[in-house]
Amino acid sequence: MSLWLCLRFDQLSLQCLSRSEEQAVAVLVRQRVICANDCAAALGVREGMTSAGVRALAGDDTPLQLLERNIGAEQHCLDQLCCWAYGITPTLHKWREDCLQLEIGGCLRLFRGLDQLLAEVANGLDSRGYRVHYGLAPTPKAAWLLSFAPRQSALAIQLPLVERLGPLPLSLLDTFSGTVASLRRAGLRTLGEVLALPSAALGRRCGLEFSHFLQQLLGQREDLQTDYQPPATFSDAFWFGYEVKINGELLPAVQLLLQSLCRFLRQTQLRTTQIHWQFIAIDHRVHELCVRSASSHSDWKNWYQLTAIRLEQVQLQAGVEGLALVCRQLCPAQPDNIDLFGPGRQSEPLASLLDRLRSRLGLQAIEQVSCRDEHLPELAVQLSHDLPGDGHTTGTHCAQRPFWLMPRPQALRQRHNRLYWNGPLNLVYGPERIEDNWWREAVSRDYYIAAGNGRHYWVFLDRLARCWYIHGIFA
Amino acid sequence: MNQMIERVMRRTDTWRGRHSQWRGHSLPANSEGHGRSGLPTGYSALDGQLQHGGWPLDSAIELLSDGCGLGAMGLFLPAMEKLSEQGRWQVFIAPPYIPYAPLLAARGIDTRQVLLVHPQNREDLLWSTEQALRSTTSSAVFSWLGAHDYRYSELRKLQLAAASGDSLTVLFRANGAARQHAPAGLRLQMRAYRQVHILKQRGGNQGISVDLPLAEDVPQQPQLWELPPWPDNNSEQPPALGAGSIV
Repeated sequence: MSLWLCLRFDQLSLQCLSRSEEQAVAVLVRQRVICANDCAAALGVREGMTSAGVRALAGDDTPLQLLERNIGAEQHCLDQLCCWAYGITPTLHKWREDCLQLEIGGCLRLFRGLDQLLAEVANGLDSRGYRVHYGLAPTPKAAWLLSFAPRQSALAIQLPLVERLGPLPLSLLDTFSGTVASLRRAGLRTLGEVLALPSAALGRRCGLEFSHFLQQLLGQREDLQTDYQPPATFSDAFWFGYEVKINGELLPAVQLLLQSLCRFLRQTQLRTTQIHWQFIAIDHRVHELCVRSASSHSDWKNWYQLTAIRLEQVQLQAGVEGLALVCRQLCPAQPDNIDLFGPGRQSEPLASLLDRLRSRLGLQAIEQVSCRDEHLPELAVQLSHDLPGDGHTTGTHCAQRPFWLMPRPQALRQRHNRLYWNGPLNLVYGPERIEDNWWREAVSRDYYIAAGNGRHYWVFLDRLARCWYIHGIFA
Repeated sequence: MNQMIERVMRRTDTWRGRHSQWRGHSLPANSEGHGRSGLPTGYSALDGQLQHGGWPLDSAIELLSDGCGLGAMGLFLPAMEKLSEQGRWQVFIAPPYIPYAPLLAARGIDTRQVLLVHPQNREDLLWSTEQALRSTTSSAVFSWLGAHDYRYSELRKLQLAAASGDSLTVLFRANGAARQHAPAGLRLQMRAYRQVHILKQRGGNQGISVDLPLAEDVPQQPQLWELPPWPDNNSEQPPALGAGSIV
């Protein structure tokens, strides 16, 4: 059985523009109030008043804000709410200008019952700060109508639908204003009185469209709507409402946006390797900061740490009023393999440490070593800034090799027939001849182990140049 | 209230009375860890002197030596080999030179786990050490703190980070630091060839020198200074030296 939950945001036009609770705010269309907050309502501001009337009510000493309605902002808010509601059910659509219709019959088991699902919805909307009216019914149109009913009857799905719809006034059907007016002239005031009439006669008098509406309301006719589809890229913004000058004060907003991103990524089964932060200054200049990660993932804590490291280094020129998070490159997620039986010491992927170090110290500061199948010691070590390939060979011929290798051999001083490197050296083991590279620049060396000053060194005699060098230190 | 006491008791650095009935163990009163075993060092003489028979994994190890610990890495090769099985990072922070990869590979250490970090300044060095210690992705962290002076609070921060993780933590410092107070649970000094001096060990023996016998080295792959027994011809000066001086 399908079950629809209608979320009607009756103050959307106000709440998408201003969340102020201390100041009286009213939204106007053509100089008429369409929505006012609690503060303004306490002053006596009602729907339909003129702006002059509102100003007169407020007087001179009360702060009052009159805003023009912004339909674009409302739709943007509704889109963001769709994105959030997509985490509850995949079947949803926008309805009229201020409603979301969620089909929740298919996900009751996921949430372990209707009560938990409604609690989850209320929780999510509370944190976003929207005032909402609920309506529950087997059809979307009935759910919408019931969102105008008192709360007990709006959620009472155990009662018959006709009985719940009965007391609702006909004036709610504002899309059929002509029909409703003629019905009212005939003495019909509530929906129940209209539904009691024989449908064939009603259809003849009020037109096909109205009778189709009633049939859809009662579930006797299909009501098909296009489902909401999540967008291909992610973009969300946070507005502080005041100027932020210290980077640390941005972090709560960063966390909020990242959580929203990761919810989006989880729902759409996508991942990303880079995110873009846009700092919107007071003068609307945008400063962009890109944060990268070696592996694609959807773990917000990881992104948060990386962003915090980058924010420590960035000096913002001007105060920031808004923070936007944009994610343009998304790729399909590969599910992680989690070790069920492992000791559980490691709680994050290996690359996360690499990311953190790289984001502060730079790409060049992190190196990895690997072996190469080469004869010359300096060629046998490979240093790379990226993850080395599968160069893991088990060396068999390195019995007497030092732990440390100098990046390039350093010349040794000689005095009175002795070698010096922080003190005199004695050759204690050797020689081992290494010759190679004859096709390019012939190299022929005799390697010895030299002792001196309590330590052992790897030194060699370049047989071609007849010079002594130190090449490594034993550890 | 009981929960608060329990939380304090669970900390490994809380000093407890002599006849501690806590969980019925009979270790010395201020010993580290609760039955947590150390990581075998690969040298039985050293294991015998260390609390829990090996390197502590819940505390930092300070190693003082000349040349910033260049000559002391051999002590940790067996431990690195064991930690290599875990498949986590072995982080070298500010290493003085390049670790010779073929040697590591020959000793059974997966070189793909070795991460070399080159911080530019002292702050970055401390920061990256702490990051590596706090991360659960590293099994060993070797940090060459060098001859800088460090405040006690900075070292304490590293010690707390080491205590929070389960990685082998080695901080290499100069010999001069021996006179200063340090929060590390174990402080060692290399005083002579194959001799480790335990400067400080929380809850264990300290102020003793441990000789590392040659016999425990793996044949063909000696552990400490990589020196095989040399045929007794030390008196003979290799002729090559003379040849070099002619030029």
